[in-house]
Amino acid sequence: MKLFAREKQELPIADHFKADGSRWSLKEKLLLGLSFDDYRQQLLRNPFNWLILIVFAVGLPIIAQRFLFGLGSVTHASNDYPWGLFLAFGLFGMVPLSASGFMLGTTVELFGRKDFHPIERLALLNGLLGYFFAVVYLQVDLGMPWRLPYPMFVSLGPAAVLFLVAWHVATYLSVQVAEVLPSFFEWLGWLKGKRMIRSMVLGLTVAGIILSTLHQGALGALFTYAPGKLHPLWMSANFQWIHFLTSAVFGGLSMLIVVSTFSKWFLAWRCDHHFLESLDKLTLGLAKGATFAMITYLGIKFIAIAHDKEWVYLFTGWGQYFLLELTIGVFIPMMLFAFAVRNGNARMARVAAFIGVFGVLWNRINTALISFNWHMYQEIPYWKEAVITITIFTLYLVTYRFILYRLPILYEWKGDK
Amino acid sequence: MLSLKTAKAAGDFDHYPDSMGVLVDVNRCVGCRSCEAACNKEQGLPEPEKPFNDYSVFDEGHEGGGHGGVGRRTDETRYTVVNKYEVPEIDHPLYRKSQCNHCLEPACLTSCFVNAYTKTPEGAVIYNPDVCVGCRTCMIACPFYVPAFKYSSAFSPRVMKCIFCYDTRLKEGRPPACVEACPQEAMTFGKRFDLLEIGRKRIRQHPDKYVNHIYGEKEAGGTAWMYLSPVEFGEVGFDVHVPHEPVINFVRDFLSIVPMVLVIWPALFAGFHLLANRKDAQHNHDDIDREGGE
Amino acid sequence: MPLRKKWCMMWGIAAGVVLLWAGQGRAIDRSDAPETVTIGLLAELYDPVEFNHTAHIEMVECSDCHHHTVGTVTKRWNCIKCHDNPQEGDTVGCSDCHPLDRFGSRYLATLDNPELYHKEKPGLKGAFHLNCVGCHQEQGGPTGCEDCHTMNETGEKRFNAGPYTPAR
Repeated sequence: MKLFAREKQELPIADHFKADGSRWSLKEKLLLGLSFDDYRQQLLRNPFNWLILIVFAVGLPIIAQRFLFGLGSVTHASNDYPWGLFLAFGLFGMVPLSASGFMLGTTVELFGRKDFHPIERLALLNGLLGYFFAVVYLQVDLGMPWRLPYPMFVSLGPAAVLFLVAWHVATYLSVQVAEVLPSFFEWLGWLKGKRMIRSMVLGLTVAGIILSTLHQGALGALFTYAPGKLHPLWMSANFQWIHFLTSAVFGGLSMLIVVSTFSKWFLAWRCDHHFLESLDKLTLGLAKGATFAMITYLGIKFIAIAHDKEWVYLFTGWGQYFLLELTIGVFIPMMLFAFAVRNGNARMARVAAFIGVFGVLWNRINTALISFNWHMYQEIPYWKEAVITITIFTLYLVTYRFILYRLPILYEWKGDK
Repeated sequence: MLSLKTAKAAGDFDHYPDSMGVLVDVNRCVGCRSCEAACNKEQGLPEPEKPFNDYSVFDEGHEGGGHGGVGRRTDETRYTVVNKYEVPEIDHPLYRKSQCNHCLEPACLTSCFVNAYTKTPEGAVIYNPDVCVGCRTCMIACPFYVPAFKYSSAFSPRVMKCIFCYDTRLKEGRPPACVEACPQEAMTFGKRFDLLEIGRKRIRQHPDKYVNHIYGEKEAGGTAWMYLSPVEFGEVGFDVHVPHEPVINFVRDFLSIVPMVLVIWPALFAGFHLLANRKDAQHNHDDIDREGGE
Repeated sequence: MPLRKKWCMMWGIAAGVVLLWAGQGRAIDRSDAPETVTIGLLAELYDPVEFNHTAHIEMVECSDCHHHTVGTVTKRWNCIKCHDNPQEGDTVGCSDCHPLDRFGSRYLATLDNPELYHKEKPGLKGAFHLNCVGCHQEQGGPTGCEDCHTMNETGEKRFNAGPYTPAR
């Protein structure tokens, strides 16, 4: 695509009209303005696509196996570890990384920081896709996925934390769809729809921050149902939800830096100068936010230890692992972020963001899988479980790329808005 | 206000006074597995891997080496299992039966977001497979590792767990099949209140034969099935770290902040919005003033 | 096979009748005891057990099994209150005190009586096993189920044993 964009003036599509004044058809827009043969050629030329193909060739049959022969055929069917990789990575990992949506929505729309505008849409899309695929992971993991709407409409258990998670994720997903729709409408050329959404944007943003606060916290609070099973260092009845919420803040910001970095590296043809030129500055702005969130997080982490009188655990093997997680996953990226902000070094902030994303994922997996059942044996997921996890993540990447190629996320639509 | 009231009401719930229970005496169990066989037939569970009089099962751990150290656990083919424990204090092995303990405030029930669980006034914790979504949070929440999932099924999976023989027996005032099958009367069936008394009496009369603790009196906020043991409970496979209050108490902190966030956040952030955009507002205001002045 | 079936149907009666054997209270003599006692309590799942009474009275005191009902009167002050009077002491058969239908609703209802002292008195099946297995454990007697009981077909079905062993 890079090559085509260089050759043809009118590509990539950023307007309703071609160079000769005629309108792009929907089909042409979908094919990125290329002929079908060209489109196929550029697909085949990209080695990354071959990798995707291999992953799907292996993974999709295994996903089919899961739905035809049951969860037991692709996992260890553990009754001691009822939640495996699908939820530890897919749900508990993806959701905090998707906090970017409400963070940037709040920054731009509520606090009026219009300077973050160029990256706002990427943040919203990152949020939407993260949540959507968290639900996909959940659907793979649920015993009866066809009953997904039951907690909403059939049999309600409103006193359960998971009830909150279900409702909040569902409503927040709709909010995010609404937040991303304007770019879709611009691309489609249906301005009435866009205006309709614009008029609700403040309400949507406030709804977004309420729902996010609650369900990011609720995901943490889910583990307060297992006070004896989680290692005390990863479990705090009083603070669990704050831990999950604050780590989601820097998780989301770091993820946004990572995604924007990838966009800059691999999708430069799609980004407009506006995005590319302001990116370094914005990255440092995000880095600043992440630094504060990380300091807060570390603070609350240790307050929780003091509150629950758990200092003695720090001197055990588990304690060292815990400190390792905090050092690598939070402290080091925090210092890097801080140095980056101080020296205006966006590259360093990017390195920190990669580590930060890893740190959040690591924390979620430690909470849900490693420190869970710490009195017992350690469950190592069955390889098919890992393959399914990777396959769905690949699906996520493909969807992500498909949308970024087309919708005005990384660039501003030149036609009427 | 409303949530405060319900929270208090929930905290004050003092359980069903006449609910039934079972007192299991680890001293008496001889590991004959008659209870396992009876349960299997009563509940129409799948054929076991080995006959119920095959005692080599006591040497099996389950995957990864064992549940709390040793032994088998409940799964989709069995609602109850007996495990064997060698302890230094006693020259013969001890056996301990496990099944659902039918908590007074069950964690499975309070964690379920589709109300699939019910605590009946008779004392049983029963499960409704027709509304279950298969999220398995109940299995995360159960401090005793009891509920199991029918992982083998793609189209009709469900949670599998002991229901105190509610449908077939308890409802009519009869004890569960395992209790009746036990040759040693290791299990005493009765009102939970009476069982506590019986348990204390046994401990008092035979201080040499029992440790002074009834497991399940306080564990997880109290359970309908309780245990007496001749040795420290940890030695015969019990989790002695189970908190002495209902699991839901650990979740209340979070539940109480939910209404606060719902009510305070909109006002708070709308306020932030107004403050953050004060400059614009002032700007406009100045404009208006100026216009008005002219 | 028909014999077994018959046992199944009559298990309650058999147990009741055999154990109704009553002695002469505290005046009882060892020689009055039966040589064997047929116990068909578990006839649903196992063949009846021929209990060799003679062999056992050579090894233990009567009161080891029969508590205070055969000659040796209890001396414990708390027990004497009731068990010193002839009525309570005059019975030897286990089933006179230990209920056969321990978990039947009628017996369970009697447990609600607030004046009942022996609230946790084991039923007949429990009394036998607790007594026998407890002693066998200490004295090194046989303790396995099938050391004493021969499983019948219903038992094999229940335990998935014998011809009903799971195919693996």
